[in-house]
Amino acid sequence: MTDRNEGNIAQKAQMSRREALKLGLAAGVGLTVFGMNARIVLADDGQVLKVANPAFNQDWSPLRGGGVPFRWNSIWWASPMYFDSEGKIKPYVFTSWESPDNKVWTFKIDPKAVFSDGSKITSADVKGSWEVASMPNTKSQRADQVLSKVQGYKEIGAGSGNELTGVATPDEGTVIVTLTEADPIFYMRLANHIVPIAKAAQSRGSDGEEVADWYKPDNSAVYSGPFKLISIDIDAGKLVFEPNEKFFGPKPKLSRIEITSIEDNVTATSLIKSGEFNAHTELVTSTIIQDLGPEFSAGPLIPTSQHFWFNISRAPMDDPKVRQALIMAIDRDGLFKASYPDGPHKKADQILNSVPGADNSGFEPYPYDPAAAKKLLAESTYGGPERLPKILFVGISAPAIQAAAQFIAEQWRQNLGITAVDMKPQQDSYAGPDQNAVQIFRDDVGTRVPDAVSYLAGCIASTSSNAQNKLGGYKNDKVDAALAEAATKAVDDPQRIKLAQDAQKAFREDWAFIPWYSQAMSRWATKEVKGMDKNLDWQVVAPWDISIG
Amino acid sequence: MSALMRNVSANRWEVTLLRYVLTRFAIWIPSVLIVMLAVYALAFYGAGDPIKLIFLRAPGDVAYNPQRIEAIRESAGLNRPFIEQFGLYVWNLLHGQFGNSLTSGRSVWAMVSAAAPVSFKLALCSIILTTIIAIPLGMIAAMNQNSRLDYAILGSALFLWAIPAYVAGPLLMVGLIVLLPGASVPYGWGGIFDVRILLPLVVLSFQPIALIVRQTRAAVIEVLSEDFVRTARAKGVPEIVVALRHILRPVLTPVVTQLGLIMITIVNGAIFVELVFGLPGLGRLTVQALTNSDYPVILAITLIGSFLVMISNLLVDVLYPLLDPRANDARRSR
Amino acid sequence: MSAVPLSPAATQEEAPVSLWRDAWYRLKRNKLAVFGLAVVAILAFTAIFGPYLTPYDYLSQDLQSRNAVPSLQHLFGTDDLGRDVFSRVVFGTRTAFLVAVIVTVIAVLIGTILGAIAGFFGNPFDRVIMWLTDMTMSVPNLLLVVVINASLKSPITKWMEAQYLVTLNPFYRQTIWVDFMLVFGSMALISWPPYARLVRAQVLSIRSRPYITAAQALGLSNWIIMKRYVVPNALGPLIVSVSAGLGTAMVLESAFSFLGVGVNPPTPSWGNMISDGLRVWQHYPHLLAAPAAVLGLASVAFSFLGDGLNDALNPRGAK
Repeated sequence: MTDRNEGNIAQKAQMSRREALKLGLAAGVGLTVFGMNARIVLADDGQVLKVANPAFNQDWSPLRGGGVPFRWNSIWWASPMYFDSEGKIKPYVFTSWESPDNKVWTFKIDPKAVFSDGSKITSADVKGSWEVASMPNTKSQRADQVLSKVQGYKEIGAGSGNELTGVATPDEGTVIVTLTEADPIFYMRLANHIVPIAKAAQSRGSDGEEVADWYKPDNSAVYSGPFKLISIDIDAGKLVFEPNEKFFGPKPKLSRIEITSIEDNVTATSLIKSGEFNAHTELVTSTIIQDLGPEFSAGPLIPTSQHFWFNISRAPMDDPKVRQALIMAIDRDGLFKASYPDGPHKKADQILNSVPGADNSGFEPYPYDPAAAKKLLAESTYGGPERLPKILFVGISAPAIQAAAQFIAEQWRQNLGITAVDMKPQQDSYAGPDQNAVQIFRDDVGTRVPDAVSYLAGCIASTSSNAQNKLGGYKNDKVDAALAEAATKAVDDPQRIKLAQDAQKAFREDWAFIPWYSQAMSRWATKEVKGMDKNLDWQVVAPWDISIG
Repeated sequence: MSALMRNVSANRWEVTLLRYVLTRFAIWIPSVLIVMLAVYALAFYGAGDPIKLIFLRAPGDVAYNPQRIEAIRESAGLNRPFIEQFGLYVWNLLHGQFGNSLTSGRSVWAMVSAAAPVSFKLALCSIILTTIIAIPLGMIAAMNQNSRLDYAILGSALFLWAIPAYVAGPLLMVGLIVLLPGASVPYGWGGIFDVRILLPLVVLSFQPIALIVRQTRAAVIEVLSEDFVRTARAKGVPEIVVALRHILRPVLTPVVTQLGLIMITIVNGAIFVELVFGLPGLGRLTVQALTNSDYPVILAITLIGSFLVMISNLLVDVLYPLLDPRANDARRSR
Repeated sequence: MSAVPLSPAATQEEAPVSLWRDAWYRLKRNKLAVFGLAVVAILAFTAIFGPYLTPYDYLSQDLQSRNAVPSLQHLFGTDDLGRDVFSRVVFGTRTAFLVAVIVTVIAVLIGTILGAIAGFFGNPFDRVIMWLTDMTMSVPNLLLVVVINASLKSPITKWMEAQYLVTLNPFYRQTIWVDFMLVFGSMALISWPPYARLVRAQVLSIRSRPYITAAQALGLSNWIIMKRYVVPNALGPLIVSVSAGLGTAMVLESAFSFLGVGVNPPTPSWGNMISDGLRVWQHYPHLLAAPAAVLGLASVAFSFLGDGLNDALNPRGAK
């Protein structure tokens, strides 16, 4: 190129650089102006609860008995009874519950109980709601915990029949339930939102199955709770609730509740900090206390806990000495510090917590004794760490769990010389290809009833799914006998508690789990939000009491 | 294709074009079916069962009741032989039915038709942005080859290519909030004229811009040494006119051929951008479907992805001869 | 030109004649490419020898000093379990290089073989292979990788465990290698199409050259022709593609680790370190900055190198 051309080109290059700068500046200014206008305007028409939801849930039916949407059930649905944050049962749709023999229960419906269109909540609605939740295709995760002892439930669960034969409705305001066996705490099992009361005619089709999208406002759905669903846009992940004027309980203080899906936790935290949102469905990050303060995730301890369970049917967990060695080689204080150094959960030494009988249970915490652990491992059938098969953890999904699992692996490496440890997030161990390999499952256990027997029956009784699947067919006759006998005792019988404690102590001797922490039910709302106390059912206890500022 | 076009009159050209497009479609259909079969087989035999996963993913207090789970699977038809299930799926597909999600029960068509437009609009805007920014930059770089400007542009392009979207996205997002305290968090989808699309669009376009800048630069360098350019310059034609009228046309050709590759880059990169900025597009749907092992949704996404690539390759093959009648086959396949 | 004989000194200073030496000289003059080469060399050294030279074991946890800011004791600080970030980044280099190199090698092997066959033998091989290429490229990356990963997991794990029980060689127990093999397999299976396309195009253009016709006329077998004439001439663009491909493979691996598909903890990979760091970067920026910077640097270096190689091997529009 000639010199003249080079000069011209250099000039042009210079000019374009200037132009580029100008453009950049303009863009920056434009962005600021737009940014300020695009900011979400805080509502000034009453108090609005703005909730960030961590997932784009495709299914908001209240009948699933679990999942993220379940945590908001108490906002738009009423339940037979409910527990407050101290664990005291309160009447709701049912005003009374009694049984002469703990087998046949009579419940009376509040005559003032109505749906959002003014129609009365009748016993037919209660029966219909229970039946549709029992149908397998409704895919309710926890209907078992509520209705498994009701006559007719087993048949529906197997796919034959669609009626709960044990539920009778002599008149509009009475429901009589006959169980397959005596259960002193049956009434407590109803006190949650697992099977909320909906209008049977709407939620249930003529074939007994759930009607698709019955709960959406465009299908003229009616709601039994303090708020009603005004609009739902599943693809955008947005729901709006407004007070139910016909609600038969106290008048709600909020003027609106908006739920928006924000999948990324870091973004959600920024949005809550900036004030655009004031609550979250389930926010778990390792810096939540630093970001949002301790009040955000504070809450009562509920009877739910997280532990690492050993599958005792798979090598090397089939040797009790190995199990004992593995447990004794872990400094569980360090384990808790590695995962939840600032709370809100509490370190656990046993399974039971927050139920009568949890304190002074006589369960001696597992000791931390690396030297003894090493000896035990050498005495086991494997003779030492080199011949142990690879140990596989599953359920290692969240960061805190990863930290805990890596801590455990490192303790085993340092104290016992075990190097072959693997961890995977998914729990699909026994549905998928790794079927025979997984030895350690991280999972939570708990109960929705403040009762030690029910807590343990769900995890260490040989009939429980936890014992069968995660513990690998665990069966301890002492445990089973104690729990079976305890289940027959009345709620206030001290024997009930003592037998449960005995069962737990018997379980201890099998060295089948690594105790981790007892769960706190975080309120996940900013300081200004009042009345967001939650209960052991993961619900907001009294949604009508929520207020802001 | 160009041979076809050169020898026919206008009317017959349209008919030939139609025949060409239809033939491509006809070839594509069995191909995509085979791909879907492969994907379905891998998911079916390898990944978990969608119904079991619902219960396994639930917290530990949820009982894993094999009886109930079997009842659900039975009524969803999951116990039938694999081939029968696939055959049924294809049969329904031919009737326009995409089935329902096994995890949420929602109609797959509803899910996909809500997510696809978001991804398409994003991709389109990204292509436009790329074209506007990258082609001029590439030309400038080439015309000032080996000057500091050239190095600067080339260096920036290579830099943009190297930065992963999932790192650039959050960093830029937080940087924006830090630098412009009045700005709101750019999260969520508000349509293509909403300001929140700006940041995800920019991040998504990093790689395509880098790619096109380099392509354009290389193509322009090649063209610059051609005789007709020297002639134009010798005639005293101003550089800008040389650039626009003589160089642009042949340059567009290799760029357009890259459209297929760009489409793929965008579709793949969009997953991270959608996750980070909360855009309800196909990327996010893919991640969800894979996590839940939701066969109908996975198949629908495979179908759409394949369709998208096929259409863009088709467009390229149709447009190419229009842009450069001298096209020869060896160059086109590069 | 006059017939003045050149002095020996002048002859020695003339540029050498072979393609490779020529390219090397051009490469050396490109500053960006030299920078890229230097960085790649340093990283390669780190990948091979680094883990033996780090001050700390990448696994050992020190719960007393968690999330510590970079200091003289810990060059890049520590992570949430008290592990030295510098050591983990160094080990991550090994992960990244291992994945990048092996995936690229496998992908290039598959791609070259298929591309050469397609280009040289023409239809019907060409049609089938091109169709295969298109189909592989059209399925979204993530989908394919996750699905392949999920289905390869079981047979590979079972095979490794069986091998261990037979040989008692601890190599088969190392969970790291199982993860790697899964990642290699699934990533290689999505990375080969561009190489196949490239080689095919090169073969097509070379095939029509006169010297090939001459070789065929002389009666040389197809295989010998491919080996001696076609492949060496196709190498130029292939080298460029490979060096760019290494960078892409590295970023791809980190992307998949970021999504949770790929290398599992506690094996450090830049990708999962970045994804962990992204969650807490406002509090502990060093957890994000270290792996992100190194990943960016590596990727940029490969980019520069690839581009430099391109300019060096295809000298069009000369200075």
